Amino acid sequence: MQSEPLLDAQGQDEFLLGNEAVARGLYEAGVSVAATYPGTPSSEIGDVLYKLSERMGIKFEFATNEKVALEIAAAASSGGLRSFVFMKHVGLNVAMDSFVSLSGSGVKGGLVVFSADDPSMHSSQNEQDNRFLGKFAKTIVVEPSSPQELKDFVIKAFDVSEEVGHPVLIRSVTRISHIRAPVKLGPIRKKNEWSYKKDPSYVLLPENAYKAQLSIAKRIENVSAAKYQTRFDAVYGDSSTLIITSGAAYNYIDEALQMLKASARIMKIGMSFPLDLERITDEIRGAERVIFVEEGGPFIEEQVLQECALHSINKKFYGKLNGSVPTSYEMDVDRVASFLSTIYGIPFNTNKPAATIIPEREPVLCPGCPHRASYYVATLAMKQLGIRNPIAPTDIGCYTLGYYQPYNLGDFCYSMGSSLGSSSGYAMSAKERVVSFIGDSTFFHAGIPALINAYHNNHNFVLVILDNSITAMTGGQPTPETSPPFRKVDIESVVRGIGIKNVYTMDPYDLKNSLETFKKALKSDELAVIISKRECALEADRKKSPSETKIFQINQDKCTQCYNCIKNFSCAAFYFEDGKVKIDPELCDGCSVCTEPLVCPFNAIEVMD
Amino acid sequence: MVSIVFAGVGGQGVITVAMIIGRAAVIEGKNVLMTELHGMAQRGGKILVEVRIGEYKSAIIPANTADAIVAFEELEAVRNLKKLKDGGMILLSRRKIHPVSMTLRRQNYPTDAIEEELSRYNTLNVEADQVALSLGNKRVANTVMVGAVYSTGILGLSRESIIKAIKDSLPERYWDINMRAFEEGQKLLVTESAKAA
Ligand code: SF4
Ligand code: SF4
Repeated sequence: MQSEPLLDAQGQDEFLLGNEAVARGLYEAGVSVAATYPGTPSSEIGDVLYKLSERMGIKFEFATNEKVALEIAAAASSGGLRSFVFMKHVGLNVAMDSFVSLSGSGVKGGLVVFSADDPSMHSSQNEQDNRFLGKFAKTIVVEPSSPQELKDFVIKAFDVSEEVGHPVLIRSVTRISHIRAPVKLGPIRKKNEWSYKKDPSYVLLPENAYKAQLSIAKRIENVSAAKYQTRFDAVYGDSSTLIITSGAAYNYIDEALQMLKASARIMKIGMSFPLDLERITDEIRGAERVIFVEEGGPFIEEQVLQECALHSINKKFYGKLNGSVPTSYEMDVDRVASFLSTIYGIPFNTNKPAATIIPEREPVLCPGCPHRASYYVATLAMKQLGIRNPIAPTDIGCYTLGYYQPYNLGDFCYSMGSSLGSSSGYAMSAKERVVSFIGDSTFFHAGIPALINAYHNNHNFVLVILDNSITAMTGGQPTPETSPPFRKVDIESVVRGIGIKNVYTMDPYDLKNSLETFKKALKSDELAVIISKRECALEADRKKSPSETKIFQINQDKCTQCYNCIKNFSCAAFYFEDGKVKIDPELCDGCSVCTEPLVCPFNAIEVMD
Repeated sequence: MVSIVFAGVGGQGVITVAMIIGRAAVIEGKNVLMTELHGMAQRGGKILVEVRIGEYKSAIIPANTADAIVAFEELEAVRNLKKLKDGGMILLSRRKIHPVSMTLRRQNYPTDAIEEELSRYNTLNVEADQVALSLGNKRVANTVMVGAVYSTGILGLSRESIIKAIKDSLPERYWDINMRAFEEGQKLLVTESAKAA
């Protein structure tokens, strides 16, 4: 039978995704409260908790954004409960305003913040190294290297947090959170009782904030002691070359050294802020040369070199600061072997003649995706109205793919909600028509204040809210529209509640009507909002049985090879072969949108019997 | 110690196959690492899963060291050739999924270029979809693939642990058909190499 490994008893090895190991760690650590806003590569923790939190005795919720999530956790901790908040790296920017206050108040129940960074930007807008944010906010920073350590460090982080009374930031990355490995399950601890007492340190008025500075410094000094640090660190190997490393980068070193037939003493740092600098400088004194291998910025390197400068410790140092180690993108064995080979002076050649040029496979909207229909009518409406070069700010979600051909609707995308702030800016300054796109979940997360700004300041643009009623790109988490068991928040009511009158709700699958709606909105001389509402195609698929799905094909007798369907509509199920357009029956979702005359004017697309 | 690249397109069940093999290794008490990348598309994007069984710390397979590529799509098999070691094998379930950018430019699928690349390696075709259809459920193509990979002998895992891993991954009502799929998958390569011989 399919088992529920995350609830199983201790002692067993389970093949867990790093993020699943985190969720199990919360259970084992006796966590009472957890909150998040979904973001890759952290989302699976929420998927597990959404399913199992009740059985784990954890109160869990998807918050509207990361800042709200962090405040939920902070409040629970102030009453003595162990609480956890998790997010992708850029989510911490959203939570930043309250995150920097955590160290000021300190914590009662253990409080752990989890950030999954995304070096190489597999699904993100940057590769910021959140260890720097942890140090900036004066929280403790720990970095695991494997799924097993993710689970272990979660538990240890809660212990340290409670012992010292200070928040801990765990920094994971894609290649830890998204790795599967055997993880040994441990015992389940008892949860803390609610024990709230009023405490002025939670009210960061100037008077209290002033005092807080001293207690922050004291707690940080406490935790630099070896008794905390050694719980997270490992040192091994005998060599005059010392490699100081951490996180995912650590995983590549042994194999790279093997390839080079070289040796090193390895110091794997698990707690990277604050550092036990005494122990580290002792190690350095015993070495001839020191190499820092980190993924992200020179976080440990800077702290250690600063200490070495203060104590006039002079060695040969290699790392990001002297250009020996690359500063961008994730590491792997080949990259590590390549820079170590230069430092060690051992030749290394991994080059293998590359295959003939391989066509790229860009990410695409799914067949049947309602966003495709929205983008298609948007471009068509603008063409028909002679709007040639619109500026189209877009936002974070599957629909960011509207940036690609043939829609080319994506001119500005910084962060969650940035479509709307920038739309005010463009409407204020640009001569072009401004048409912007945001998804439902992103709208709730960060769009509402910016929409109020646009209305209040009378900016004229068209906002399209692509409402598929789910957080699709991260795997289909609920949004404030999801009900039951939650209470449904209706987007149109929110928009109208601001005072906006020019509001249109349409079904993007109905191309004809949608085209008229777009034209009306585009002709408006004040702010107009289109709510393009249709369930995510994948979500709809989950609900319908395969026998209900119709499949469409091209009637080659009727097809005139005008290619409108592939040039402008561009469903991912279409393909081109020897001059003909065809539909891949395995990929067709049966949405039937392409059969509309607005896509195929010759009625050549028919249902397959 | 074995390193295998699994490649395909989102929605093809690439991860499912890799998962079963990983689970079987855990059942035998072996260390195993699996890493997956799927970018920002939910469907239709390229998928790369790497599995390493043995005392590894890096889940990412270094260039030129993979023992095999198990591919569910032709272009994706070729895209990952740089990971394959000399003398490594390719198990390929034939399928052409056209990248949208090629369709937009009205280009044919690059069949000739792909065949040329594949011909330089020990490429074994696995008719996973056909076998699955003949068993009456195209969804068991993944288990057929597991059978084919197992029959190469590179996994170093026992039949029993793979069967247990398949059962652990599925509700009981699907066990029977998947057991048959696993058996059929093992026969496929025998015929392939017999053909070659
Ligand atoms: S739009 Fe219709 S007629 Fe034109 S190429 Fe496509 S199927 Fe053929
Ligand atoms: S019906 Fe047409 S538009 Fe819809 S998924 Fe199939 S081919 Fe694509």
